[in-house]
Amino acid sequence: METLKTAVETRDDLLAVEMKNISKVYPNGIAANRNVDFSVRFGEIHALIGENGAGKSSLMKILFGLEQPTEGEIFINGEAVKLASPSQAIAHGIGMVHQHFMLVPTLTVAENMVLGMPPKKGIIIDYKKAVDMTAEIAKRYGFNVDPEARVMDIPVGMKQKVEILKALLRGAKILILDEPTAVLTSKETVELFRQLRLLRDEGFTIVFISHRLNEIKELTDRMTIMRGGRSMGVYETKGITEQQISQRMVGRDVILTVEKDKSQPGDVILEVRDLSYINEWDKRMLDRVSFNLRAGEILGIAGVEGNGQRELVDILFNLREPEGGAVYVNGHEITGLTQRRIRDLGVSLIPEDRMVFGIAGDAGIADNIIADRFDKKAYNRGPIFNMKSIHEETDRLIREYRIVSRDRNQKVGMLSGGNIQKVVVAREFSSDPILIIADQPTRGIDVGATEFIRARLVELSRAGAAVLLVSADLNEVMEMSDRLIIFYGGHIAASFDDTTTLTDELMGEYMLGLRTQASEPKEEKTHV
Amino acid sequence: MYKRRMLGFSLIRGLAAILLALAVAAVFIFLATDEPFHALQQLLIGPVVSFGEDGASFNVQSFYQILAAMIPTIFTALGVCVMFSANQFNLGGEGGAMAGGFVAALVAIYLPMAAGLHPVVSVLIGAVAAGLITLIPGVLKVSVGASEMVSSLMLNYVVMYVVLHFLNYEFADRSKGATQTHAFLPTAKIAQMVRGGSRLTYGFIAAIAVALLIGIFMYRTRWGYQIRMIGINQNFATYSGMKVTSVILLSQFMGGLLAGTGGAIEVLGRYNTFLWKELPGFGWTGITIAILARNNPVAVPFAAFFIAYLNKGCLLMNTNSDIPSEMISIIQASIFLFFAAEQFLAGLRQRIVVKNARDELAQAQAAAAASEEG
Repeated sequence: METLKTAVETRDDLLAVEMKNISKVYPNGIAANRNVDFSVRFGEIHALIGENGAGKSSLMKILFGLEQPTEGEIFINGEAVKLASPSQAIAHGIGMVHQHFMLVPTLTVAENMVLGMPPKKGIIIDYKKAVDMTAEIAKRYGFNVDPEARVMDIPVGMKQKVEILKALLRGAKILILDEPTAVLTSKETVELFRQLRLLRDEGFTIVFISHRLNEIKELTDRMTIMRGGRSMGVYETKGITEQQISQRMVGRDVILTVEKDKSQPGDVILEVRDLSYINEWDKRMLDRVSFNLRAGEILGIAGVEGNGQRELVDILFNLREPEGGAVYVNGHEITGLTQRRIRDLGVSLIPEDRMVFGIAGDAGIADNIIADRFDKKAYNRGPIFNMKSIHEETDRLIREYRIVSRDRNQKVGMLSGGNIQKVVVAREFSSDPILIIADQPTRGIDVGATEFIRARLVELSRAGAAVLLVSADLNEVMEMSDRLIIFYGGHIAASFDDTTTLTDELMGEYMLGLRTQASEPKEEKTHV
Repeated sequence: MYKRRMLGFSLIRGLAAILLALAVAAVFIFLATDEPFHALQQLLIGPVVSFGEDGASFNVQSFYQILAAMIPTIFTALGVCVMFSANQFNLGGEGGAMAGGFVAALVAIYLPMAAGLHPVVSVLIGAVAAGLITLIPGVLKVSVGASEMVSSLMLNYVVMYVVLHFLNYEFADRSKGATQTHAFLPTAKIAQMVRGGSRLTYGFIAAIAVALLIGIFMYRTRWGYQIRMIGINQNFATYSGMKVTSVILLSQFMGGLLAGTGGAIEVLGRYNTFLWKELPGFGWTGITIAILARNNPVAVPFAAFFIAYLNKGCLLMNTNSDIPSEMISIIQASIFLFFAAEQFLAGLRQRIVVKNARDELAQAQAAAAASEEG
């Protein structure tokens, strides 16, 4: 990584916000922030950027009094403060606009504006005054909103303006905007940016949370980049390129290579035929998807999230019903079978959301390990559990999978993310599966656990298991897969039998829908 | 290290809850009476100590009465443990206890049997009837998604009026002034364990034994295991291949079975005839006990003792001082509050968790360093 001068605070800088050495450890032991320093000057638009899970939200929740830091100090306008609740943060002039609007849809704009602090005439709420107050503050800052419209009837962009005005009405001088453009059209975004600049010129201080690099380049003065709960530095927006931001944000500087022998494909294990799925909002998430997977090979499924991968996996494990099509494992149709039957056919699943499906967080490691095999003969003596064999099996897997834990009865929810995933993997890999569906198997876990799980997957595939690897991690899916499919819009946009010649640029174009193999004159698959 | 810290924390938390609850009670007592210390004495040590002319002495009969009062509530609490462990808030134990008592009474009156067999069969039939009743909210939940809490709550009153109907119109002993059934056959009575009027029957032994058995069932069998896993994370249970629907139904049936057993043993042990004309209240007390015991069957007898002791103390306070018996509701409510509130002393818990997380990290790093060297 090239060296880059970080923006240095000088003594003359007036700081609107200064957060020093903030750490946040959640009750489940997850550290969301680790010794983060964050500061914002008066009258600047400051970007806070990072991938999902980098710790931005948690840092801002602390600043808005929604969460308490485990460690660290906060200064507002140079004065040390304790922010035990949002009302205290508001009293210190901090306002936050959440990604999901906190408005009552059935009330009018004016009613929402004065919620919790209504102007009164005697004991009756003075609605007329609320309307006047709203109109006045909207006019003052050049926001175009109709005070008497119901919130449910106004467009998203205007709802956001109402949220900003609400904060201003409560005396906010420092505005935190959490991914404000995620819900806006490009026209609304332009409008928002214009207004944010006006607010800045009026002396307001703005913290802008985002992961869209072009917007950050366009709007902000400085930025703090976060990765893995730490601050990766503070930079002047003018002095840094998008590539440099991306390197600090995504951290591809850790290059993972996976060593593997060439695959020796055997019989077809998984056969997916014309699978279709339409979701509850009538969107077609899978459109007649077909592919095969053979024993001994790793088939990667790449794609931007939300292009049908999740629906595919859910259908494979009967957690959703397909609209059409069928799935066969070893020639048996499995569509509609119970999870017990699917597992009995030798299918394992590492679920995408390990906390929702993969574990029972309040139960111990042993209880989590035996979830798919508790009724097998080896673990029972008549009606009673054979605790000795359960303990032996658990201890063996804890050792083999290097699960860092106090003992076999430690609650899985208290383990670190990597060790939670190792518990899931230990269970799913140790049932002699013929087909392993690995959905985002290494998402959000530490490098050590990631490497371990990847190596295990390769090992199992080389020993004859069929592996279906669904991953949003480009590095992972390109390095691991023997063959690769790219999903876009519920279709297979591309399919490659040789992954060694693939480039990131090409992958990106398929994943973003700029190219599809079907629309190309040349059929790449014919050489097989 | 960790275990000691957490155990210490649990103990402090439990103790603090009891002390706070008693402090609240003390405030009310000081407000309500001119002789608060006498009243407190009655409440706290009155249940087991009698004050005669020759000083204080251990009151054995009173102690037996406390144990006797625990019998039905241990069973209903065990039922709640099983049902709540599956994350099903079925409150049908109350109706289950009444129905169990009534059905067992009918068997005890109308089906002659040998002495040893009669009470056992009566209790079992009563228990099964109660199990079928608590199964209803479970079936409604898994088939049409109806809230088991609401349907079981309403069901209790349906059960009560059905029982009253049969009691009044079909099985009443017309020769008696009060509404009651004919007397149980002598063979059906559950024998007393001790002499005197304490009504401490062998049902107490059964209650303790069943508490242990349910402990084994929940923590050492594949069915109890599935109930617990479904209660913790139903998605996980489904994904792992468990038969979620059947296990939920099993847990609701067992809950009623236990509640019905409690009602039946109470009826056959304490009375000669069935004469309940309203819900007996054991189901509600069972919920309190199960929450105090944190759904752990083995802890249920201890929690049941605590509640029975408290009830007795309040009763004595009511008799021997000028404080009304409603006081017990205040005390129970405050204990309930302090125990059930998850966030109670959350700050302390958070600090412990953070400390443990740090220790663990340090340990892991040390282990990693050691393995690199080795």
